[in-house]
Amino acid sequence: MKIFFAFLLIIFLVFSGYHLSFRKFGIPLFARTFYLTGLEFLFLGLLLGPQFLNILDVETCGALAPVSALLLGWIGMLFGFQFEISKLRRFPRVYFLAGFLESFLTLIVVFGGIYFTLPFILKISEPMRAVISVVLASAAACTAQTGLAMFSSSKIGKNQSMIKILRYLSSIDGLVAMLAMLPVFVFFPRSTDIAASRFLFGYDIFIAMIIFTAILILYNLFLVYRREQSELVLIIIGMVIFISGFSTVMNFSPLLSNFFVGVCLVNLTSEKEKIFTTLVSIEKPVYLLLLVFLGSAWHLQSFWALAAAGGYFVIRFTGKMIGGFSISLLGLKMKEYPAGLGLGLIGQGGLPLAILYDFQQGFQLEVADVVVGIALIAIIYSDVMSPNLIGRFLKKGE
Amino acid sequence: MPQAIAKKDHLLSYLLIIVFMGLFGLWIKGIEIETGRQQAGLIIFSLGFVMLSAYVIAQIVKIAKLPLITGYIIAGILAGPYVSGFLTVEMVERLRLIDDLALSFIALMAGAELRLSSLKLRGKSIALNILLISFCVFSLVVLLMLYAGNHFNVTSNLEPIYLLVFAILLGVICIARSPSSAIAIIDEVRADGPFTSTVLGVTIVMDVLIIIFFTFAMAISRIIVTPGGVINIWLIVVLVGEIFITFLIGAILGKVISIYTDRVGRDFLLFLLFIAFGVTRISLWLNDYMIVHFKMSLYLEPLLICMTAGFFVQNFSRFGTYFVDSLRRMSLLIYALFFSLAGASLSFESLAVCWPLALTLVLVRATGIFGGTWVAGKICHDPPVFNQNAWMSYLTQAGVAIGLAVLAARQFPEIGDHLNTVVLAIIAVNQIIGPITFKMALNRVGESGKR
Repeated sequence: MKIFFAFLLIIFLVFSGYHLSFRKFGIPLFARTFYLTGLEFLFLGLLLGPQFLNILDVETCGALAPVSALLLGWIGMLFGFQFEISKLRRFPRVYFLAGFLESFLTLIVVFGGIYFTLPFILKISEPMRAVISVVLASAAACTAQTGLAMFSSSKIGKNQSMIKILRYLSSIDGLVAMLAMLPVFVFFPRSTDIAASRFLFGYDIFIAMIIFTAILILYNLFLVYRREQSELVLIIIGMVIFISGFSTVMNFSPLLSNFFVGVCLVNLTSEKEKIFTTLVSIEKPVYLLLLVFLGSAWHLQSFWALAAAGGYFVIRFTGKMIGGFSISLLGLKMKEYPAGLGLGLIGQGGLPLAILYDFQQGFQLEVADVVVGIALIAIIYSDVMSPNLIGRFLKKGE
Repeated sequence: MPQAIAKKDHLLSYLLIIVFMGLFGLWIKGIEIETGRQQAGLIIFSLGFVMLSAYVIAQIVKIAKLPLITGYIIAGILAGPYVSGFLTVEMVERLRLIDDLALSFIALMAGAELRLSSLKLRGKSIALNILLISFCVFSLVVLLMLYAGNHFNVTSNLEPIYLLVFAILLGVICIARSPSSAIAIIDEVRADGPFTSTVLGVTIVMDVLIIIFFTFAMAISRIIVTPGGVINIWLIVVLVGEIFITFLIGAILGKVISIYTDRVGRDFLLFLLFIAFGVTRISLWLNDYMIVHFKMSLYLEPLLICMTAGFFVQNFSRFGTYFVDSLRRMSLLIYALFFSLAGASLSFESLAVCWPLALTLVLVRATGIFGGTWVAGKICHDPPVFNQNAWMSYLTQAGVAIGLAVLAARQFPEIGDHLNTVVLAIIAVNQIIGPITFKMALNRVGESGKR
């Protein structure tokens, strides 16, 4: 059986290589979307994982824990680098408000939807019910515009203003997701006793502020002199692993801690361009590796997961439509966009994958595996359907 | 800013970084670890800590004109189980996979640094060096152990027959070198020229030959300890088969890398990571599979596979330069990671147990290497400066020697512990002084900065 799957893996790698060399070969739209989003690597992970080839077995994954921490931290820091205040100011404030509102409304809708339907699907305790709802709502709040890659340059050229707002909203809405994840890690992994967690909260915040300041000073000490690119790679990777490890020991999230460090660095250090270039230079490998790791930990249970994922997709779709509609009411600047803006915000991209992986690593419970498995299927639904929905949205605007 | 002041300022910032990181380390060590996740976090933190401190210490030793890898090794030693205890033996063991991945990258680079044209030019010198170094080191170590073995605490209680086996196996293990250290130093000082080509050629070819020598030594040792024993031809056949398959897989892999570079070209480092991971895991899996299903061991050395692959990409495709440049972009990170973990793995416990024997062996080995390289240089009419300094390039030892000692210990449990202890102690010394002497040699022959 293993040899059979090894053979499949070889075919897959050859096919993937072929795809990468000839991007425009004529495969059906569905498969093309699949390849453009890199979701095939999720299945590669599944194939390599314990359910099939067992190359990425539990022991190996344990030994590769620093790599998975690096991936989460890297994505967190890269996302944090999007929040450079001077660059954000170049756009009208109403755009920022729109991005924030759309994401927040999606979060509320999905949180409510999941919180009330979850007891019908899974038997879980009250605190975990809230935690899972927040995690799924955070993942749902994020948007990515990978689906735009499916459109011709003339189509994109014709709809410049619509695409601009979609891209802007997608870069902002993850902020709400990250902030929503904060209480999950502040209160829970250490203890499900809310009272005890609240008691420790004030102390933790104080400690966190000290650590955070010390980390920023340390970073600046590394960057105080000009460094070559290879040195910067080492320093950034080292610092990301260092911070991720520290966060994990403190029962916090590597994704979030590196995100906050990223936000501070981009606004405080003069080396931000170099750091950003370094972060972006391996963005794609990091994202693809994250998919492989997620895939290897993916527990495919039964067909009911497909239905549950469908439910999650519908709730998120509703949230995005409500969010899109609401922001079209925000003053004159937003009125020029159609009320169905939510149609252009269905693709989910990489950040929700990182949020889910962070949750899975942070909680290490069976229920977390089940929930992440369902959410992954829903992300596949979203990414596969998003080009079609963006097309409809662009048509509405024409 | 004058250079001296700049260096002083840099030094100050590096010292501040060490102080800050030390405080973090002390704090985290004080936290009570309650869960498996926290335990994993501690290992992750430690890895980041070691990488960063390796970088900082390497920059400090660079000011003193020492090689960067000495800094990495010192950082590993300081963080390791015998000094601060920040990295425990278990942690180092759990990071073994990351270590293996880094080693695969280094092996790819080592293979790619071997150019067929240089090898052809220096073929005679390489062959003579291998022959004479092997002969001199082996003979001197065996003679030392046979005539003076009884005077050292570790070997004084061995029966004469086991002392002979011990001497033979140790003699072969002392021939082993460390290709990873050699490539790291050559890369750091950007060395190029006939001397560098010879050293690299000798080191890498020796890495293949040492496995053959060791297998012969094991077979002979078995005959010595088993009355009426004969050489098992089957063993030799399997060994030749293993080496052949290893080269074949390496060549195929090299071809695959070339095709990928040609047809795809994107995400190259990710692709190489897959290759490195695949080679490491599949080699282990294949060995287990053969033992379970065919009751025979077929161990394909991942290091050799990767070296062969790198060699093929460099010499039999158009992408050698691109390949080396891509690897070089990550080299600093990989060296810092690999050598700091190597430093943390050095066994000072063993050194404490048998330091008189270890130091004697280090001296005898160095003498053997000097004799071998000097005679080889004279025969090949190499410049005197080459002959005087060549011995300094071959001192470093690392993983291969440890691996051989472990194999020998399994086959001959009567001498296993003694052999392991002595080998680990010798490596601890050679791994510290070897990179320094190699850098000195490259500077003296004037091949530093020639690339």
